Amino acid sequence: MTRAVVRKDLTVLWASPIPYVVGALFHLALGLLYVDQLEVRRQAVVQPLFPLAGFLLLVMAPLLTMRSFAEEARTGTLDVLQAARVRAAPMVLGKWLAAWMTGLAVFAPALLFVLLLSWWGEPDAGPVIAGFAGLALFTATLTGLGVLASSLSSSQPVAAIVALFLSLLFWFADVADQAPQAGSLLLRFSLRERLRSFASGVVDTSDVAWFVLLVVATLALAAQAVEGRRLR
Amino acid sequence: MIRASGLTRRFGGREAVRDVTFAVEPGEVVGFLGPNGAGKSTTMRLLLDLLRPHGGDAAVDGSVGYLPEQFAAYDALGVRSYLHFMARMKGVGTDDVPRVLEAAGVADLARRPVARLSKGQRQRVGMAQALLGRPAAYVLDEPTQGLDPKQVVDTRRLIRSLATDDGAAVLLSTHLLAEVAAMCDRVVVIVRGRIVAEDRTTDLPDLEAKFLRLVGESELA
Repeated sequence: MTRAVVRKDLTVLWASPIPYVVGALFHLALGLLYVDQLEVRRQAVVQPLFPLAGFLLLVMAPLLTMRSFAEEARTGTLDVLQAARVRAAPMVLGKWLAAWMTGLAVFAPALLFVLLLSWWGEPDAGPVIAGFAGLALFTATLTGLGVLASSLSSSQPVAAIVALFLSLLFWFADVADQAPQAGSLLLRFSLRERLRSFASGVVDTSDVAWFVLLVVATLALAAQAVEGRRLR
Repeated sequence: MIRASGLTRRFGGREAVRDVTFAVEPGEVVGFLGPNGAGKSTTMRLLLDLLRPHGGDAAVDGSVGYLPEQFAAYDALGVRSYLHFMARMKGVGTDDVPRVLEAAGVADLARRPVARLSKGQRQRVGMAQALLGRPAAYVLDEPTQGLDPKQVVDTRRLIRSLATDDGAAVLLSTHLLAEVAAMCDRVVVIVRGRIVAEDRTTDLPDLEAKFLRLVGESELA
């Protein structure tokens, strides 16, 4: 059942202009910002690529996930599925997988930057592999947040705004790290901090566990929200 | 069997349906009749567990085929792909797809993208997905809306055969008294969220007279 949802959502999503436009804007912005960083540093290093890609994904991912449940709720296709007693869990999982795979496909061409970089220098394989693994986990988390936001509304723009807000909240959580009580706790919540350690070539199991935990939590909440539509 | 027992549902402070009780037996087609905004769609959504009642309960024995009033599918998919998807989601074999394409009269549209279907064609695709897996019960909201006269006749025959040949319980809502007279064994009339009559279907002139009297009386009450 989950596989059927993945296939259907991939077909629907890639038949729309959204992934192409998001991909084009993402790589245009990433190219400009990354080249700027290389010029400033005067070094052929890959590290600045990941935080830049992370921030751009933060803005782009809500556009990939906004229609997942919101559009189905608006058009009534979700009613047809729920009337057939299809449970929320396989739908949520399938939609998240489709959105994640789309997110991976959108940022995958960023590998070309690494290939281009190898013309001028010899980037370490460790940070490159760790950085892209971090981005993959980061995208999984963002799409989880996006699917959750989409399950809460039947309006795509509202779903995108809620997803962006949640993502920014987790991204900038470390800004409050100077707070005496909550600072260290908020630092743990920061997606930016987690991504930074991947970009430096360190794959910490606690970072991996944090991303996985966030994905599981957001998908569980999304399943609850979809089942809870009946209570409205 | 489809059963509603004392169903009540409010939206805000307004009662959309109140103490709605009726049943549809296997092998029976029941017409659910009422003016616009009477509570037909709300009752159907309660029966399908798409809404939780504030009072009473609803039950549908076995699997259920549902056709909403405004049927929508996924524009990017072809008709056959959509039905394959729905068959997998319902847990029935995709082997059933050719049968429902034929039964709903959309076999010639199997390769066409949903985006390129007319309103009537979409409605028939909606009927096809409702037929998947030969459900024990059907809840059909305005099943002939947007169909041309021949399609109306074909759909009426199909719905009638679901009860007589498959032994399914069929509840269908409609605005058309002629549709009730042509297809239904019984009629349940709802006005302002309340069941005001439940009777065996008679001929059309008699049905018209009864319905107008019921709606008129209710409006005056």
